[in-house]
Amino acid sequence: MKLLEVRDLKVHFPIRQGLFSLVRQHVKAVDGVSLQVEAGETVGLVGESGCGKTTLGRAIIRLLEPTHGHIVFDGQDITHLEGEELRRKRRQFQMIFQDPYGSLNPRMTVGEIIGEAIDIHRLAASASARQERIEQLLKQVGLDPAHAMRYPHEFSGGQRQRIGIARALAVEPRLIVCDEPVSALDVSVQAQVINLLQDLQRQLGMAYLFVAHDLAVVEHISQRVLVMYLGRVVEGGPSKSLIRDPQHPYTQALISAVPEVDPASKKRRIILTGDVPSPIQPPSGCPFHPRCPVAVSRCSQEVPPLRETSPGHWTACHLVPALETPQS
Amino acid sequence: MSPTPDSNTNFSSAPLLEVCGLQLDFLKDGQALRAVDDVSFELKAGESICLVGESGCGKSVTALSVARLVPSPPARYVGGQIRVNGKNVFEMSPKELQQIRGGVVSYIFQEPGASLNPVFRVGDQILESLKLHRPASATREEVVQLLKLVGIPAPEARIHDYPHQLSGGMQQRIMIAMALASHPRLLIADEPTTALDVTIQAQIIELLKDLRQRIGMSLLLITHNFGIVGDLADRVVVMYAGQIVELAASATLLARPLHPYTRALMNSVPKLGGESDRLTAIPGNVPNLGSFPKGCRFHPRCPKARAECSESVPELREVEPGHWVRCPFWMS
Repeated sequence: MKLLEVRDLKVHFPIRQGLFSLVRQHVKAVDGVSLQVEAGETVGLVGESGCGKTTLGRAIIRLLEPTHGHIVFDGQDITHLEGEELRRKRRQFQMIFQDPYGSLNPRMTVGEIIGEAIDIHRLAASASARQERIEQLLKQVGLDPAHAMRYPHEFSGGQRQRIGIARALAVEPRLIVCDEPVSALDVSVQAQVINLLQDLQRQLGMAYLFVAHDLAVVEHISQRVLVMYLGRVVEGGPSKSLIRDPQHPYTQALISAVPEVDPASKKRRIILTGDVPSPIQPPSGCPFHPRCPVAVSRCSQEVPPLRETSPGHWTACHLVPALETPQS
Repeated sequence: MSPTPDSNTNFSSAPLLEVCGLQLDFLKDGQALRAVDDVSFELKAGESICLVGESGCGKSVTALSVARLVPSPPARYVGGQIRVNGKNVFEMSPKELQQIRGGVVSYIFQEPGASLNPVFRVGDQILESLKLHRPASATREEVVQLLKLVGIPAPEARIHDYPHQLSGGMQQRIMIAMALASHPRLLIADEPTTALDVTIQAQIIELLKDLRQRIGMSLLLITHNFGIVGDLADRVVVMYAGQIVELAASATLLARPLHPYTRALMNSVPKLGGESDRLTAIPGNVPNLGSFPKGCRFHPRCPKARAECSESVPELREVEPGHWVRCPFWMS
């Protein structure tokens, strides 16, 4: 069942300059992204810093105002929902943030942090039901329920991230946008949090939009992966086939750049030259063409559309032939 | 008086860097907390060593101690020696230390943006570091040459840029150029690519490899990424809670890690293209400074811990030629 559908979403930030603060230019952080998330599934969103993955995640749960396009959640267009209606709908989609230190209010106890979500959505009939729910949530994320009286600074990074997860779970969401949930954690603790997220999904059946830059982590947790570059999705497909058989030259370079533990399996590393261009004036045509090792002249003129290039696998590259579709 | 090598000593046979039984405390609220506990290793000229470990294991403090860059107090060196070119840095005069810093040992850090001065042009900052060592002969042409060496395009134009005008990858190249300015024999890089994107990280790794080959520089690299170890290191030192737990040639260690911590750390990271459905997580947290467990410091999180592990600290033993492990039960 389709839980979330995003159609041609754009998020442009105006740059105001000069005496009258006129809008001179736009940062095209997200520039025409379409995606779908099925109920209970995990979709990974990878890309380098500045590719727009975090902006996209925030726009989807309406923390940022989209400039163009539609967000359809569970059959309802939420692109322009406001006020009380939006707040009610928000119960169904939540977010887990990257920084477990900055995303918890240091002046609130853990119980208050989780309880606040319960209060806003009026999910507990009585004070004792509220308390019970908080304890249950803490147990669910592997924390001691007795710790509800403690403050965030008394916990380690991994434990704080568990608190953030408990807060998101408090309203029983159907979609959680996880924005780099493990990248601030120690390596040995990352696996705990990834396992927890997977266990919770099995028990509760919510979907994840998992935004991260670590390809191995995204591949591990996601059924499908989308690769973003400069505000656009350049490739998407089932995670195993995308990692093993990447078709877009950017994805190929990205995967080859990951340093390999096994010194015997020295693969050919594609070194990209230069940096990601500015999203204020993205290159003409394919946004990747100035760094692309195989670009041809057409790449600088035409924007390649995202086409199905093998079953379930979509690529936006002129050089990758589209899947033959039977003529109807 | 301590033995000082006479000026005719041929250094190439001796190790460039020797860390012997280094012990360092941090003073906090009148308490001495042991951050580095009996760390010893040596690095030969031209060799590359990776220090691997998680936050709080003492790897950065160990590396900073090489040029006496840890302010004291709060740090207090309790024991051990660090010899650079055979000379103990703890017995050096301020002038000698100055010559070591940048001259023999250079550093680059995790966040290039935070290490550059935002109000000076990058060319001037590099020139400044050149002038520190050669006040008379440093020139702007040399700066351009250095930027070329680290692969910055159009260096003549870039020297006029301020740090904020450059991307993270370019800033890190500037830092490397600055570190190379006075031809150091040893480059110490503390998580040089952690703040960078993976395609930029690949560029920096290739650059470091290339520089090692071209100018024969030694490298002490701090990382928590075993992929980078496989790429850059000749030998690896794995640290946990202030102690070395394993030390071996990198190919050996990556193929056959023997300490339970090294194994657990390597297993807890998902592998690209891997099959596992569930990660083997290490339970618990990295212990904080001052609350290291008794006995083997990894025992509360160790899957193979036995009763005796909580009693005495195991010794670091050479179990195979060149392979040192701090675990008496490594064979099981």
